[in-house]
Amino acid sequence: MALLRIEAIRAGYGHGPDILNGLSLELEPNRIYCVIGPNGAGKSTLLRVIMGLLRPRAGRVWFNKEDITGLRPDQIVARGISYVPQDRSLFPDMTVWENLLMGGYLMRDPRALSRRVEEILELFPVLRKHRSRRAGLLSGGEQQMLAIGRALILRPALLLLDEPSLGLAPLVVEQVFEIIRQLKAMSLTVLLVEQNVRKGLECADWGYVLDQGCLRFEGPAKAILEEPRLVVTYFGQRRGHP
Amino acid sequence: MSLTAFIQILLLGLALGGIYALMAIGLSLTFGVMRILNLAHGAFMILAAYLAFWLFVRYRLDPLLSIPFMMGTLFAIGIILYRILFSRLAGRADYTHLTILLTFSLALILEGLMGYLWTGIYRAANPPYAARSYSFGPWYIPAGQLYAALTSLILLSILWLILYRTRFGRAVRATMQNRIAAQIVGVDVNGVSMITFGLGLALAGASGSLLSFLFPFFPSRHWQWIAILLALVVFGGLGSLPGTVMGAFTLAVISAYATTLAGPTWSSALFYLALFLTLLVRPQGLLGKGEAP
Repeated sequence: MALLRIEAIRAGYGHGPDILNGLSLELEPNRIYCVIGPNGAGKSTLLRVIMGLLRPRAGRVWFNKEDITGLRPDQIVARGISYVPQDRSLFPDMTVWENLLMGGYLMRDPRALSRRVEEILELFPVLRKHRSRRAGLLSGGEQQMLAIGRALILRPALLLLDEPSLGLAPLVVEQVFEIIRQLKAMSLTVLLVEQNVRKGLECADWGYVLDQGCLRFEGPAKAILEEPRLVVTYFGQRRGHP
Repeated sequence: MSLTAFIQILLLGLALGGIYALMAIGLSLTFGVMRILNLAHGAFMILAAYLAFWLFVRYRLDPLLSIPFMMGTLFAIGIILYRILFSRLAGRADYTHLTILLTFSLALILEGLMGYLWTGIYRAANPPYAARSYSFGPWYIPAGQLYAALTSLILLSILWLILYRTRFGRAVRATMQNRIAAQIVGVDVNGVSMITFGLGLALAGASGSLLSFLFPFFPSRHWQWIAILLALVVFGGLGSLPGTVMGAFTLAVISAYATTLAGPTWSSALFYLALFLTLLVRPQGLLGKGEAP
């Protein structure tokens, strides 16, 4: 049974053109999916629609057999979807600790929330080191860890990650992808949007190639990596080769 | 100037600052959370002042005691206005600009309505303490100003407790810092915005009760008030609540000294000069953080 089902979604901003043109896809539980495609293909827009930040012009979004189209973001979070946007969207004036607490805003029991925050600090030792530091003062990599950590507090079933490697040093990118691999062991489903095609597909089970708001290709991530036609067509150069 | 006079003026300036802070904090809160620059804030203060005035004249209800009633009424008005006027604009790119037009016309409508109902005559409530003052040693403070300043401090403390000690307060601060981030951790930002707008008007309501016996008023007086309040908020840093409180105290003290040293004509000139000079050096205001996200 599919965890998330997108049905013929059309979406765009303001009075602008459609960014997504009748896109459909399905996510099975406990897998990592990577969406790739050129700039403007609609990758980030797809995540915004799933999260309820952008209302689609047509089509439906189903999560766990429930129609969640048109629900508010806070209602969607409550149903088990978490989102890490491209700009990480932290609370810059709050400490690392307070940001993690905000991640559990929907939890009513403060003791259970403290325990969850502790679990996340286990998972990200670097956050424990900086727990009293203001989020705005962290390095890019630390901010990304905090954003992912905050998104995990509610133990979501589906995690949406938008360009987690953007603007990070290569060594830090490596750490971030290592964490994404660990998430799978926590029986999470991850929908990953990534410009770093090779890195993204290497850690994913399944790949989607998006172009101009339509699905051009889908298949096992390995197969896409080994399909020179796709890589050349959509990404110009074969990236990531030594 | 003798030390005694210096301290006397500082005292009066600080009392005025406390009152300014209460008047401006609602404006700052509304801008910080929703990016609504509420140009009708002063008009709502005058409306509340009229209500407090009539409650006092007709029913002998002390303006200080009318504060809870005024806050409740204005809170309800705020919720209704937000639902009818502002919620449908949410999410538009030109949101702040539209709210400026919207609240400007709201101010005009209120002014016209008040002029129609209550004419343009100067009004001021005169509860018994309006003419009294307390003296200690060589210094004095008018009882009305003392009570108003204490009331302001109490209300500001309650607001601080709400913002920093409650779940709703966390949601408000989160929304002020990053609206998207607040949404994706599960804050219903529309609900928070609606209640915060009501809270902003409730604070205008409390300010109006104080204004009714501190400063004479008439319907079009709100333009002068909104000019002062905007100056305070910009001076302290748009969207920063501690900045607004600091700005209120600083500018009130400056204008108190200006009044004594150079006469009341110069007071408001120096007030805006201080604002102008500060913005030259620090365009984001005292505690502002530059361009808001």
